[in-house]
Amino acid sequence: MTRSWVRTLLVLGTVAVSVFLITVLQSLLTTLDSMSNNPNSSNRLVVRHKSGLTQVLPRSYENYLRQQPEVETICGLQWFGGYYKDPANFFANFASDEATLFDVFREEFGAAGITESQLKEYLRDGTGCIVGESLAQKNGWKVGDVVPLTGTIFPISPRLTIRLIFKARKPSDENVLHFHYKVLEEGVPRFKGRVGTFWLRLKRPEDIPRLIERIDRHFANSANETLSETENAFNLSFVKMLGNINGIIQGISVAVLVAVLIVTAGTMAMVIRERTTEIAVFRAMGFRTGQVLSLQLAEGALLVTLGGLIGTLLAVLVAGAVRGVMGTVMPFFADFAIAPRTMLLCMGTGLAIGLISTFIPAYAATRKPITEGLKTL
Amino acid sequence: MIGLLVLLPFAAYLGWLLWAAFFLPVPLSYNLRSLWQRKVSTFSTAGAIALVVGIFVVVLSLAQGLSVAFVTSGRDDQALVLRPNARFELNSSIERERMRILKVHPLLAREGEQPLCSAEVVAVKLFQKSNGDDTNVTIRGMEPMGLRLRPQARIVEGRWFRPGVSEVVVPRKMQGRFPGMEVGGIVKMGGRQWDIVGAFEAGGSSAESEIWTDVADLMQAYKRDSYSTLLARLQDANRIGEFTRSVDEDKRLKLEVVTERAYFKELTKAGDPIAVLGNLITVILTGGAIFSAMNTMFAAVANRTKEIGMLRALGFRQRDILASFQWEAILLCGAGGLVGAGLATFANGIQTGTTSFDTFSDVGFAFTITPGLMAQGVAFSLVMGLLGGFLPAWRASRIPLTEAMKGG
Amino acid sequence: MPATTTEDLGGGEAIIRLQDIAKSYWREALEIPVLKGIDLDIPKGGYVALMGPSGSGKTTLLNLIAGIDRPSGGGLEVCGYALNDLDDDELAAWRNAHVGFIFQNYNLVPVLNAYENVELPLLLQPLSRSERRRRVLEALSLVNLEDRMWNYPRQLSGGQEQRVAIARAIVTDPDLLVADEPTGALDHKNAEEVLQLMERLNRELGKTIVMVTHDPKAAHHARHQIHLEKGVLDRMVEVNQ
Repeated sequence: MTRSWVRTLLVLGTVAVSVFLITVLQSLLTTLDSMSNNPNSSNRLVVRHKSGLTQVLPRSYENYLRQQPEVETICGLQWFGGYYKDPANFFANFASDEATLFDVFREEFGAAGITESQLKEYLRDGTGCIVGESLAQKNGWKVGDVVPLTGTIFPISPRLTIRLIFKARKPSDENVLHFHYKVLEEGVPRFKGRVGTFWLRLKRPEDIPRLIERIDRHFANSANETLSETENAFNLSFVKMLGNINGIIQGISVAVLVAVLIVTAGTMAMVIRERTTEIAVFRAMGFRTGQVLSLQLAEGALLVTLGGLIGTLLAVLVAGAVRGVMGTVMPFFADFAIAPRTMLLCMGTGLAIGLISTFIPAYAATRKPITEGLKTL
Repeated sequence: MIGLLVLLPFAAYLGWLLWAAFFLPVPLSYNLRSLWQRKVSTFSTAGAIALVVGIFVVVLSLAQGLSVAFVTSGRDDQALVLRPNARFELNSSIERERMRILKVHPLLAREGEQPLCSAEVVAVKLFQKSNGDDTNVTIRGMEPMGLRLRPQARIVEGRWFRPGVSEVVVPRKMQGRFPGMEVGGIVKMGGRQWDIVGAFEAGGSSAESEIWTDVADLMQAYKRDSYSTLLARLQDANRIGEFTRSVDEDKRLKLEVVTERAYFKELTKAGDPIAVLGNLITVILTGGAIFSAMNTMFAAVANRTKEIGMLRALGFRQRDILASFQWEAILLCGAGGLVGAGLATFANGIQTGTTSFDTFSDVGFAFTITPGLMAQGVAFSLVMGLLGGFLPAWRASRIPLTEAMKGG
Repeated sequence: MPATTTEDLGGGEAIIRLQDIAKSYWREALEIPVLKGIDLDIPKGGYVALMGPSGSGKTTLLNLIAGIDRPSGGGLEVCGYALNDLDDDELAAWRNAHVGFIFQNYNLVPVLNAYENVELPLLLQPLSRSERRRRVLEALSLVNLEDRMWNYPRQLSGGQEQRVAIARAIVTDPDLLVADEPTGALDHKNAEEVLQLMERLNRELGKTIVMVTHDPKAAHHARHQIHLEKGVLDRMVEVNQ
């Protein structure tokens, strides 16, 4: 390999780039996966209108839901869909029931270290709002600032005062703004007594299936039928809306794998052909086929593993940039991170490629009669 | 300025290469046959480049499919009237009284007494796709004039809907992606059953993601008393600014106007996530492919050191060798590019969809592999050959002549 | 050995004039002299075998004469041109017009057939396709290989390959042929054939030939042998034929 360091570097580069790409793609998938696989949400339930997200439920349903013995607490939540200054500057903003929000999403706000007095400030101020730290940082907001939020779905543009900036465990949970539900109800007459989704916190996660069934049956055949599902299922339905992302990414991953396999096999074939004589000499000296073969294999494996390592490292290094780029176009990817499991998987794949792509030409070289190899001298 | 400084030598080099293809002495057939000689490395590199170009063309076609879906929908002399800040039809609402005032606006085009406009309602309904996933589908209620304002839409089976009898028409494209959309079938919306009386096509535009029906029927079923939007044709496309101002400033209206074309352009953003992902992948892959091409060409040069020395001894100049090997790389990558562009045609016509995060509703589109896109793919592969081949070709041209004299 | 003049090599007008030629290679800071103070004139129509042990500088001397390498010192005039005055492009054009090359391992392009290999140097000259064809056929008939012109090098024997290479060397009708161990890779019978062909080129077509060889049998075909030893001319032997 030292004979031509430029070419060695190029093979290394090809493998590194491919492993890099596959690592990033697979990490996108695991990120999407984690969206609909949040362990904290195991005892939460979402109730919404059966006809879709643009339909809303009557507030009166809350009484029935609250009466169910399995329910610990309940929070009404409406996607507001407003923007700050620039419509392209996307972040999630909700009108929510301030009294129960922090109870239902206890785990998400748990990391925040919210003090009693801060919370009181928000509850006291009817036009107050709370924002995640990363969102506040991005827009340069401080507690006490007034944020004019331009409504798109709703014909109101409230001016909200930041009362609390919270930290969350995941970046996507911090790209959020909540304000009092009353602001929406008072500004939009048709929303009086209506709400988009109810988020229920159950005492025990085991009760979820039973409760889902009971709620949906209770409201069946009413003017506003409900669709209840776990939080994970709810999130999954958003991921699925993106289209067949899973299929596209897996398809491209396979294509890239095939390409890199072809390329490395081709390169190793070239390298080994250049060495036919050397291999013949080794064999003439008495080395057994297996020994010669494993020598070549070790070299190929070393090269590709090294490439894989570089690619994975590169992926870890640029994870932040990917999060930035993808996060702005697709809110889910704000949580983009490379899991150790993915890294191992990709490096393992790299190693396999190295072994396979070296084995084929190396095996062919050791099959040749020794005399033929020596003839090329 | 800096761009020009970079581009100028590049263009000069390209021009020289083109000239060299015809006038420099080393014939291209020499390169072609040399490529054919090293079948393993040629095929592996060309294969890798084919895959990259294939992905490149498919990604381009995706972006193209989406912009066909939106951009061809829009006309410059038609405008949408929306509630201020609503941005999308779905979010907008216009009360009956305002609609009445709007419809008699003097700038609207007219046909006899009838203004060329359609007051419409846009709603969404969750439908199950063939693969079992749920997705929001846009339902549009329109006035009879709405069909006149969308001349690209034509019925391909059955007939258009009639007002007052709960009839709908569905896009031909949607029939494959959603079950139970056959003409003669029934859809349930707003607590009613609607007869599917026709299937339509609309030149690949975004209308092909919508179910159409009569506006009054839809309002009744959804118990709505306000419209979403007004689609109107203006007498004169140049007076759109005047129309916008007057609708905005009229105290009775206070509404926003956006040209149909601009509105649909905004909608294309639905494809951004996929396009960004696709571009990211293509950029990374291109790097890998260039490395691979470079590697192959370096190997080719190394294997032909004596041959190159001999050519130099016979009197071929350094630039003749440079051009020859540069062309060899371009031919190699170009062959891969052709195959890749061919591979991409397998994706042609595949229907798929994504959800716009602005409207939360389904946008259907088709992969459309046009000859133009394929040509772009091949051009892309030629650029890869140019970039990947330059260093090896440069090295080839620097091989000392005395190499020819070395024995062995 | 004193300066060798054309008189020593059979007389006549000099086609090659070397004056105090020196050539050294640099390995890091170390200067390795290969040729030192070579004075040599070779007359038009001469046939000289350069001989000497490995490392004596014979191939380097040939490279200098053929204009594929440049001397570190001294002047050389070949075929009427002072090679030191030519830039790389001019030198390339000069080689194409005046020098034919015969290599030890033939250096045929494996992907080109015999005809195309012979045609290669003509591609650099402003000739019509039919004129090129005429010359290629003439050169191939001279080496007696018209019937194999559509064959690729791998379909030819070593002797045939070398004859194609010779056809390529003479197709431009150069004044000077340089040969580097032309029989090094050939068996006895084929070597003899190639040497006889070269002798004919010298005698019948008047080509000046400079050949590097370590094979005494090959050297015997030349008119004069010049022996090099450690970078200097050692002795000159006239061959009695």
